[in-house]
Amino acid sequence: MRERLRKALVRIGGMAAKETLHIRRDPRTLYLALGMPVLMLFLFGYGVSFDVDRVPIAVADLDRTESSRALVDALTASREMVSIGAASPGEAERLFRSGAALAVLVVPEGYARDVATGKRTRVQLLVDGADAVIANQLLAKADGLVRAETRRLAGPGLAGREPPLQVKVWTRYNPGARSALFMVPGLAAYLLAIGAVLLTALTVAGEWERGSMEQLFASPVGRLQIVLGKLLPYLVLGMLQLLLVLAFGVVAFDLPIRGDVALVFLVGLFFLVGMLGQGLLISVVAKNQLVATQAGALSAMLPSLLLSGMLVPIQNMPVPLQLLSRIVPARYLVQALRGVLLKGNGLDVLWPELAALAAFAVVILGIATARFQRRLA
Amino acid sequence: MSEPAVAASGLTKRFGDFTAVDHVSFEVEKGEIFGYLGANGAGKSTTIRMLTGLLAPTSGHGRVAGHDVATSPEAVKASIGYMSQRFSLYLDLPVVENLLFFGGAYGLSGTALRSRAEEMIELTGLHGLADATTGSLPGGVRQRLALACALLHRPGVVFLDEPTAGVDPVARRSFWRLIRELAAGGTTVFVTTHYLDEAEYCRRIGLMVDGRLVALDTPAALKRAFVPGLVLVARGRDLARAAPALLGREGIRAVTPFGAGLHIMVDPGRWTGEAVERALAGAGASGVRVESAEPSLEDVFLAVVDRGAKEAPAP
Repeated sequence: MRERLRKALVRIGGMAAKETLHIRRDPRTLYLALGMPVLMLFLFGYGVSFDVDRVPIAVADLDRTESSRALVDALTASREMVSIGAASPGEAERLFRSGAALAVLVVPEGYARDVATGKRTRVQLLVDGADAVIANQLLAKADGLVRAETRRLAGPGLAGREPPLQVKVWTRYNPGARSALFMVPGLAAYLLAIGAVLLTALTVAGEWERGSMEQLFASPVGRLQIVLGKLLPYLVLGMLQLLLVLAFGVVAFDLPIRGDVALVFLVGLFFLVGMLGQGLLISVVAKNQLVATQAGALSAMLPSLLLSGMLVPIQNMPVPLQLLSRIVPARYLVQALRGVLLKGNGLDVLWPELAALAAFAVVILGIATARFQRRLA
Repeated sequence: MSEPAVAASGLTKRFGDFTAVDHVSFEVEKGEIFGYLGANGAGKSTTIRMLTGLLAPTSGHGRVAGHDVATSPEAVKASIGYMSQRFSLYLDLPVVENLLFFGGAYGLSGTALRSRAEEMIELTGLHGLADATTGSLPGGVRQRLALACALLHRPGVVFLDEPTAGVDPVARRSFWRLIRELAAGGTTVFVTTHYLDEAEYCRRIGLMVDGRLVALDTPAALKRAFVPGLVLVARGRDLARAAPALLGREGIRAVTPFGAGLHIMVDPGRWTGEAVERALAGAGASGVRVESAEPSLEDVFLAVVDRGAKEAPAP
């Protein structure tokens, strides 16, 4: 009995050691697992941003008074909007078309006079609505800034009295509404999914293609031992990926880790096991590396990108897609990671996501190993 | 009386309607080199897969190294060595890592594994190549490495499935020298090939046609049994053009191109070398010389295939 266990461990260890050698000798694997995450984090973290930051606006100040200049200053002070200079209201369309400005602020003649006499006055903000996300955020920002300016102007007269209506936007968890923070958990899901599914599918399909799987089947190594030995190194690699993504998030984007780090890795582990199972299943069904690569990339990339809630909030999806997202493990990983990292959630809140990830892992690994057991070399 | 190293009785494998191996029976003695011949798709690999525990037989029995292949495939796997058709090594790994990996697969570890790997490197003439990347080595060297991988755990029986496919003639010869040394040391070698010259090295040969074992004997006995006629070798110019004139004549059993010449199998009562020479010259060939020759296994193979699989399997 002990001898059998010893031999089983020797075999699993041997498989894992060989797989590690393959990984170390193939720069593509390491790039895919560790280089791509860094690249993607840069691209998504810095490049893909839903933040309103330095949005170019043009100013048509028809009043040209101290008050009107004060209003322009109030709008551009935070650098969320930057003035690109003066323009006439008629130039708005040209500016939008050329992309030189995304908004034009029109301050009417007589603005200072009206403000001074307490008369109701209007300023206009023409916004380029081509990018709905930016346009909406811009309108919201401008609205808030103008209200603040109104309060300041009305200040002396209203001293000690609260304005009758006050709007106060209080963003929790991600006060700057910085998309990087929101994106990092999504990226983690995306990168872990691609790495785990693609690499497992490739390495197992490679054994079929090379014929070495037959050689292994003809040896006393059990099939479960083959699976364990082959998948273990990729599990470790996946955990390293997660560590890398987190570290990068913390260093480059000030990603907070409000919850327990151990929980982050527990969630990641459950997710990874499911992804390894998915990769294994693909490699058993696909007969060669080419098909396995394509099936692996598609089945890992699309759901984790589109149905995980990483880019598109799940609540905004059509109902059929919402339902479909329920069987996408990336959805639960993103939810859980956002929960732990940004909100500091504990196991008491997280268990449904963990359970969902575990269920997926068990089902897919079960199917994959069953098919693996049956398939001939 | 020791048990045979390999014994098959009525071994059969069907895939749906297709019978890949049809009631095959034979025994291989310990230390014997047993050649298994046949065209592609004749059922050679399927037989090997059943005997190595990779495929369960549809019916019949197989015993290898004292274990039943259907009921205890794991015991069979542990006591045999197997070199699959494309000797599937890991080309991105160094030679020694391939050895260590396959050794580990058979449960060897630690210093025992290391010293055994070094021993195999010596035995198969791979010294100095331990750290070379396997993919950078020529086919003949890879083939010896694959054999070394199959021998690490000192199996009593080795199955080699077309071990010399795609290897140059010099490498093939040195590989067969290894095989003979191995058998002399008491290892049973079960080898499939479609190089008929190699089959001459085997003590006994089984011939497979369409899933059935149609002949089984030593090369010399097979030649006597299947090529009773006279084998003539004709050399000269324009032989190919003249060959059809011989076909269909009484007493001509077969005419096959052989290198630049022709192999002609004749009924010795009706034809002599001179008569064939005259017939070929008359049909347009020039400078014809005809000599009698020892029948080759190729002649045997062609005779067997010609006779077709209609006859009952040889006893």
